[in-house]
Amino acid sequence: MKRIDAVIRPSRLEQVKERLHAVGITGLTVLEARGFGRQKGHTETYRGAEYSLDFLPKLFLSLVVDDELLEPALGAIIESARTGAIGDGKIFVTSLDEVIRIRTGERGPAAI
Amino acid sequence: MLYGFVRRQRQWVPKTVIAFIFAQILSGSMSVALAQQAQPDPAGIATGDKSAVSDAAGNPLVVPEPTDKTAPDYKQNRKAFDDYQAQASKEPIALRLADSVGHMRIATNFSWTLLTGYLVLFMQVGFALLTCGLVRKKNAAHLMMLNFAAYVFAFLAYYVCGYAFQYGAVALNAAPANIGGTPTLDHFLIGSGLWGFLGGKGFFLSGPAYDSGSLCLTLFEVVFMETTGYIIVGAICERITFWAFLLCEVFIGAILYPSFGCWVWGGGWLSQLGTTMHLAHGYVDFAGSTVVHAMGGFCAMALAVILGPRVGKYGPDGKPRPFPAHNLVYVVTGTLILLFGWMGFNPGSTLGASDLRISVIAVNTNLSGVAGAASAMFLWYFLFGKPDITMACNGMLAGLVAITAPCAFVSPNSAVIIGGLAGLLVDAGVLFNERVIKVDDPCGAISVHGYCGWFGAVCVGIFADGTYGAGWNSVGATTYLGRAGQGVTGLLHGDVRQFVCQLAGATLCAIWAFGATYVVFSVVNKIRAMRVTREVELEGLDVPEFGLPGYPEDVAVGVGP
Repeated sequence: MKRIDAVIRPSRLEQVKERLHAVGITGLTVLEARGFGRQKGHTETYRGAEYSLDFLPKLFLSLVVDDELLEPALGAIIESARTGAIGDGKIFVTSLDEVIRIRTGERGPAAI
Repeated sequence: MLYGFVRRQRQWVPKTVIAFIFAQILSGSMSVALAQQAQPDPAGIATGDKSAVSDAAGNPLVVPEPTDKTAPDYKQNRKAFDDYQAQASKEPIALRLADSVGHMRIATNFSWTLLTGYLVLFMQVGFALLTCGLVRKKNAAHLMMLNFAAYVFAFLAYYVCGYAFQYGAVALNAAPANIGGTPTLDHFLIGSGLWGFLGGKGFFLSGPAYDSGSLCLTLFEVVFMETTGYIIVGAICERITFWAFLLCEVFIGAILYPSFGCWVWGGGWLSQLGTTMHLAHGYVDFAGSTVVHAMGGFCAMALAVILGPRVGKYGPDGKPRPFPAHNLVYVVTGTLILLFGWMGFNPGSTLGASDLRISVIAVNTNLSGVAGAASAMFLWYFLFGKPDITMACNGMLAGLVAITAPCAFVSPNSAVIIGGLAGLLVDAGVLFNERVIKVDDPCGAISVHGYCGWFGAVCVGIFADGTYGAGWNSVGATTYLGRAGQGVTGLLHGDVRQFVCQLAGATLCAIWAFGATYVVFSVVNKIRAMRVTREVELEGLDVPEFGLPGYPEDVAVGVGP
């Protein structure tokens, strides 16, 4: 089992969700997040005082997949989240020890 | 602890009751002493008769009997009086009809004054939304409570003594003829005749102030006083303690606002400078650019100086840091509500729909507001590359504040110029406060109401075109500057003295508002700090001061199912 964390543009969420559905992903958690990368922020003024918007709004997706679904899921996210401009985001993949469904107590891939 | 609280309460109650009874007795004995003079008319059944009937030009139906036999026009006046008497004795039914017409005229003016007063009351909503939108989320509930408490406590102070201080002698030099009423408020506590400094009748709105005409004026004036009360919120929010704020409101409602208000609107010395010092029509402020707005703005400035800037407002390098508005929807909605309320504020200040100048006043007010918004927005656009929404809103208010004093005396063209200049001034004022003198003013109250209020009163002395206000402050009732019917006239139309008077009066207002507030609250601040602690300020004032955040869903707490 693998856990996929992806930082994406907020405007790409619908496309990402649809493509993940299409490759057979059944669950997805979305967090609203802020951050900066190579894209960096930009400067604005408010009532005469300058300030920089360093932290830009992003979405942080978290999903867990069985090993054979990893590559199709990654492909779906990359294709649907990419605009080609700086600031498209990143994907992190980690190995996962255990998954438990709270309602039934099922463990492992059956609980995904 | 609870027991201690109750005991303190018990000690308080008798004192308040005794003070109240004493005041009742005092005002009662006054009205007994005046038994032979005009009596107040609480039921409103004796207010408005044939003496209130006049034609469009203000010529009365009832011709008064001339008393001064040495006057040059005595013979002519005597003949007019005799003719009227002869005609009246022939047509008694016409006189009864005239009584009805007069009553209807006063009733129309009552409706106008009260309804425009309700519009001004609605401005409280605008101020609350505007200022709440401009502060940070963590102080939203505190700010709304400040606006709410301002209305409650300043009103009570105005009821106890504010109205009496402001209008206790209004019948002497400035009786509001448009709403009738019995002229029983005729005593200066400090000063006398044309040099009145503080009114002295009508405490607790009882005795001579318990009169339908007088209370019509009270309703309209109390919502004006409240406007001064809300203005200060914009400059002192996000760091003042609630108890200190209540003291500020009582000070404004009881003393600060009524004092200058008496000098200008209550028949006090500033309004009579035309008669006493030959300064044109005396100090003229139609609807309160200075009496209401500059008073609030400079009072707010003194309080902001005493409190100091918010934690983190200025970095170690001395540069200002922004605390962006948390809800621009509130800011814009609040500003538009204020514009709407201003349609009561200025046209209502005629105290009567029988004065048809109200249409000119309404258009001038609107025009100046939009001109102010446009000029403030464009100047900001050229300076910083984008039009700041909050500054465009401040610009509209700046135009409205500046036209408040001259709205009745100027043409629509002048209104556009006044509003446009006020829009530039408010931008400059905000930058000046923020960068040069470093007085932290979260909502721009000092620049909008203080600087632009001062500017508005000066504009009367520049742009007034003489078409309105003949006989204002008892000056030039028949002719002025050699012309019959000439009203208040400014520099551009040939009256330098009016300009001098306006400049001096408006500047005095700024000095008085700032100085009196600074002295009183420096002492208060020495006795007990008016500002919340640094920890409270960082957390946000909502929970430490009132126990509940403005937006509880933002706080992660476990609640029931």
